[in-house]
Formats: sequence, C-alpha cells, structure tokens
Amino acid sequence: MNYLSEFTKGIWKKNPILVLGIGLCPTLAVTTSVSNAFWMSIAAAFVLTCSNIVISLIKKIVPSHVRIPIFITVIATFVTIVELLLNAFQPAVYKSLGIFIPLIVVNCIILGRAEEFASKNGVLASILDALGMAIGFALTLFVLAFVRESLGANKLFGFTIIPGMEPSSAMIIAPGAFFTLGLMLWGMNKINSRKK
Amino acid sequence: MSAGIIKPSLILTVTAFVAAFALSHVNKITAPAIARQTADREREALSVVLPGFAAGNEKTDGSGDNAFRYWEGEKNVDDAAVKAYAFITSSPGYSGDVKSMVGVDSEGKILGIYIIEQSETPGLGARAAEIASSRTIWDIGKILSGKLKEEKTHPWFQRQFAGLSAGEKIKIEKAGDWTPAKEQALLEKNAITAITGATITGRAVIAGIEKGYERLRYVLGREAAQ
Repeated sequence: MNYLSEFTKGIWKKNPILVLGIGLCPTLAVTTSVSNAFWMSIAAAFVLTCSNIVISLIKKIVPSHVRIPIFITVIATFVTIVELLLNAFQPAVYKSLGIFIPLIVVNCIILGRAEEFASKNGVLASILDALGMAIGFALTLFVLAFVRESLGANKLFGFTIIPGMEPSSAMIIAPGAFFTLGLMLWGMNKINSRKK
Repeated sequence: MSAGIIKPSLILTVTAFVAAFALSHVNKITAPAIARQTADREREALSVVLPGFAAGNEKTDGSGDNAFRYWEGEKNVDDAAVKAYAFITSSPGYSGDVKSMVGVDSEGKILGIYIIEQSETPGLGARAAEIASSRTIWDIGKILSGKLKEEKTHPWFQRQFAGLSAGEKIKIEKAGDWTPAKEQALLEKNAITAITGATITGRAVIAGIEKGYERLRYVLGREAAQ
C-alpha cells in the first residue's frame, strides 16, 4: 500500500466535496466567513481523524450488521467533545457556528470514510486518509468562504475591504454558495480533463 | 440464533458505555469553564442593557420552565434615585430559542438588549449578534503592530432597540442593514430594521421583549401590592 497516495488522494483526486460530492451541507452553510470555515475545518478534522483511528482499531470486533450504530456512537462522542471544548474555550466560535457543530455528526464525509476506509484498513493508513480528506475539505471551504465573504459581506477575516461599498448580499445567502461551488466544480473538471 | 443477538447487543452496550464514560470526563473538565463563560456573558449583558446603573441582585419569579429572572438597577440623576429593570427572555427563532436580556426604564423605554444565546443560521439570523466593525482590512498593519486597540462595540442589530418603547408594538421594517443615518426615522416609528434574509429572527427577539415586558409588569405590580 502506498501511504503517500492515501494521504494526497483526499486533497485533489478524491476531494470529498468537489469529486465525491459529500459533506455539502456544512460546506454551503458555514462558508459565509473565512473564520467560520476555518473553525469548521478544524472541528471536522479532529472528529474525522479520531473516529478513523478508533474505527480502524475496533474494526475486527464490530459485527457487520450493527456497525452503523457503533460508528455513529463513536462519531457522536467526538462531536460532543468538540462541542464542549469549543463552548468552554472558544465561546465566540461556538456562538457563531451554532447548530453546525452538533450537525458534524451527520457530515457524510466522516461516516463515509469510516465505512469506506477506516473499517477496512490499518490505523496508520486511516490517519493519513483522514488528514488528507480533512485538508481537501478545509481548502475547499477556504476558497468558498474567501469568495463569499469578500463579495457578499465586503469583508475578509472580519475586516472591511472597501469602506462604504454595498456588498452583494446574494453571495452570502444560499444561492451565492451554490454559484461559487458550481464554478469551482467546473474549474476542477476543466483542469482534470485537460490533464488527460 | 441467540448468540447472533447477544454478541452484537453486548458490543453495542460496551461502546455506548465507553462513550458515556469518556464524555462524562470531558464534561467534568469543561463544565467550570462553561459556567464561567455564562456568568461572564450575563455580567457583560447587564452592563450593556443597564448602562450606568448599579444592578442589584438577581431575582426570580416562578420556577422550572416558567422561571423569570430579573434584576433591578438604580442610579442617581440630580440627587433622585432612578430605577430601571433588566430581565431575561426567550422566544423561538428560526432554529431554536433566541435568548436575550432586555433593560427597560420605569416608563417602559428600552435601554438596551443583549442576545445571550442563539442558534440561528450563520450569516443570516446569527448576524443578530454580529458586531458592525469600523475597521477595514487596510488597518491590518496597525492591528498587528498593536496600534489599533481591539474595539468592543455593541452589535448593530441589538443597538437599534435602545430608545424604543417596550409597551407599544415594535414594528419591523425591511430597509436593508441598519446605519446610523436611519436611526432617527426608525425611533419615531418605534421600529427596527430586519436583518436581510432573517426577518424571523427579528420577530423572535421582539416577541421575547413583549412577553418578558408583560411578565415584568405583572411581577412588579404584585411586588408593589404587597
């Protein structure tokens, strides 16, 4: 097994959002600001890595027909840990992400990697897989949030870019997220088809 | 056949037990910090909604889900004691309750509101708690070198409630984001301007104020009668 490719596949070739098309709910919802995207990426990376480790460790003792409830229990535990930690030590982030922290439980990237990868592979490969997927997720979120925050709120990292300019609020609401994501998908496919 | 049920059940039970055990420990570590955050937030909220007043101790009316928490504040104006009240109220918004603290003077004029807890959509309803910053990205050099101090301004959505009358119907205007230029016209109409795309959040805050103010008048009326 090639460990390097397990790590890098999540960033481009099997990018969870742009290629696999999973985890779209948090992607569209929290990319209204770069700081929201950053903290969502950190929280999802933590949950994804921890749950991948635990699931690859317990894969042999988990009976296959109850694996989904067990995976969900593991994932929900790590999500609750993240929620408690953010509430205690990063209250501003906890306030602004709100409902999307507990909703990491149903982020399909995490259950998807548990089911497709961690339950079939060793611990080291599962960690690399999780980190690669987390980076792919984070980069996509960053680009989306960068475009949406600068055009939709006339801000970057919470600072106003051009004082006095009226931002186009369509970019900050759901359609703006879909437009931007659509353009990103088009760009990615364009680049990939040229390679061939 | 029975082994096919017992083994999976056992493993599921053990998994749930380990999860609960781990969470109870994390909860033990984070609980004091969370409690401190909540207390800090309430103290900060009191100073915002009762500006210049010395807030007394917390009082409670009712219990359980029906509990109503309020504070009495006092300040001296021209050697006469002026009273004001703060209370905590909540009302369902778009996704969950919006909990806020409201300060009113003895005539029912709102001195300030402070949103303590909300789980509205980030970028839409959650902007109710957003701070309108006057800093621009070009100031980043100044901020990094420490020349520009962290400013603590009050969120614009909450600020526009100050000066409105809690006893009358508060109206919602859809006139885009709040700017200082709109302040006077809105005050005259006893209205606020909604957050673009999140009128429900604005309605929830107003419903909370109305409900809380009614309760406050009832509680104060009963206190006076005693």
